[in-house]
Amino acid sequence: MIEDKDINILLVDDNDIDIVVNTKLLRLANFKGGIQSFHSGNEVISFIRSNAANLVEKVNVLLLDIQMPGIDGFETLQLFEAFDDDIKSKFQVFMLSSSIDRNDIIRAETNPTIRKVLEKPLDVYLLRRLIEQ
Amino acid sequence: MSTEKIRILYLDDEEHNLTSFKAAFRRDFEIFTTTEAGEAVAILNENDIHIVISDQKMPNLSGVEFFELIIPDFPDPIRILLTGYADIEAVIDAINKGQVYRYIAKPWDEQDLRMTLINAHELYVNKHALRKKNEELSKAYNELEKFIYSASHDLRAPLVSILGILKLTRLEDIDEKSTEYFGMIERMVSRLDVFVQNIISYYQNLKQGELITDINFDLLLDELFEHYRFFEGADNVRFIKNVAQHQTVRLDELRLKMILNNLISNSIKYMDSTKVDSYMRVSVETDNQKTVITVEDNGIGIKREDQKRVFDMFYRTSEVTMGSGLGLYIVKEATANLGGNVTMQSEPGIGSTFVVTIPNKQ
Repeated sequence: MIEDKDINILLVDDNDIDIVVNTKLLRLANFKGGIQSFHSGNEVISFIRSNAANLVEKVNVLLLDIQMPGIDGFETLQLFEAFDDDIKSKFQVFMLSSSIDRNDIIRAETNPTIRKVLEKPLDVYLLRRLIEQ
Repeated sequence: MSTEKIRILYLDDEEHNLTSFKAAFRRDFEIFTTTEAGEAVAILNENDIHIVISDQKMPNLSGVEFFELIIPDFPDPIRILLTGYADIEAVIDAINKGQVYRYIAKPWDEQDLRMTLINAHELYVNKHALRKKNEELSKAYNELEKFIYSASHDLRAPLVSILGILKLTRLEDIDEKSTEYFGMIERMVSRLDVFVQNIISYYQNLKQGELITDINFDLLLDELFEHYRFFEGADNVRFIKNVAQHQTVRLDELRLKMILNNLISNSIKYMDSTKVDSYMRVSVETDNQKTVITVEDNGIGIKREDQKRVFDMFYRTSEVTMGSGLGLYIVKEATANLGGNVTMQSEPGIGSTFVVTIPNKQ
């Protein structure tokens, strides 16, 4: 059992409403760990880069929206993959999508960095179970 | 046939054959002749040739070899092989490698050859038209695919955001009246969402290849049940899960979900509100060869006269106003796509049972 206080969730989504909804859903499900939100892929990547030392202390859960203007979820992931293994190993990466496009799912399933594609709105209990696995 | 002159290229190492061919046919056809294969290719490059005739026996290159050479770049022109003596090897080669339309013995009969050339041209015209149609079709298909991609995201994204907000309202303390209204909004949005998803999955099933992954039915059904718990009418239906999965099962998850989504939502939609204990039971049993999924309910059942047609596209049973008429059609198509089959048993007033049998993938 991983304790909430050791979990840090990084929500990346260009849609403000979805960020609010997902944050609230997590809180209402009594999640007590950290939640940080980012509006673009570049934002989260530079955050990880400059906070790597603190982040490696935690179990980080990166929730990446696939469809974003500018660099999309997959492009963000490519940037993430350039980090050192000792950073990457402290992350669980999930892709978030409201569409159920097959090509996106194939891209995600064939990428070893990605744990799973989750549909929006976030199923908090499913996420919790997946983190524990 | 078009009024345009038929253009023929004739390759033969014997000059006098070319001359007599020209003499015989130049009034009817536009004729290009050469003794060199290289020049023949140049002619093909510069002219829209309909028919290519080649002598089989030439010093540097046989007729079949010449055809093999030009097929990749010029697949359309109809090929005719000429030969002075019967050579069964050459005939077989001509058909297999050179993909020739006709094999003609020298000396040719003028009337015969004329008919052959006219028929060959007709074939060319048809082939050409077909190719054009195919190109148009694949262009339309690509556009459709792009449309589906953007529709699936652009139409669904806002709906999903709304559903997320509504999910929140269920978890927050909100007065009774608002809760009731939010519930109504949620039902309508869900209905629209299901409709959008149905349209998308219909096209996906048509278009997309398989993606085989390990399936954990326990987890999959939990996920689906969680989703459907808030479906219109679901609060009065008991969900029962019965999974007997003894081995790893590899299947196409998307199509599997299409099938389960439609069967589960139907069971909820068509529950019988006069019954005290409404239920929807999903049973999964696997063995090494196959997976059998049974979705069973004690809902209103399907009328006898409708039973034959429920799997038809856009067929809507008489008493239903909210379906898209696509649900069970998608179930049938997706099951067929997975190499399986679906059967139904239903008794009006008692309930319905759908059994989906799917062979496991390696």
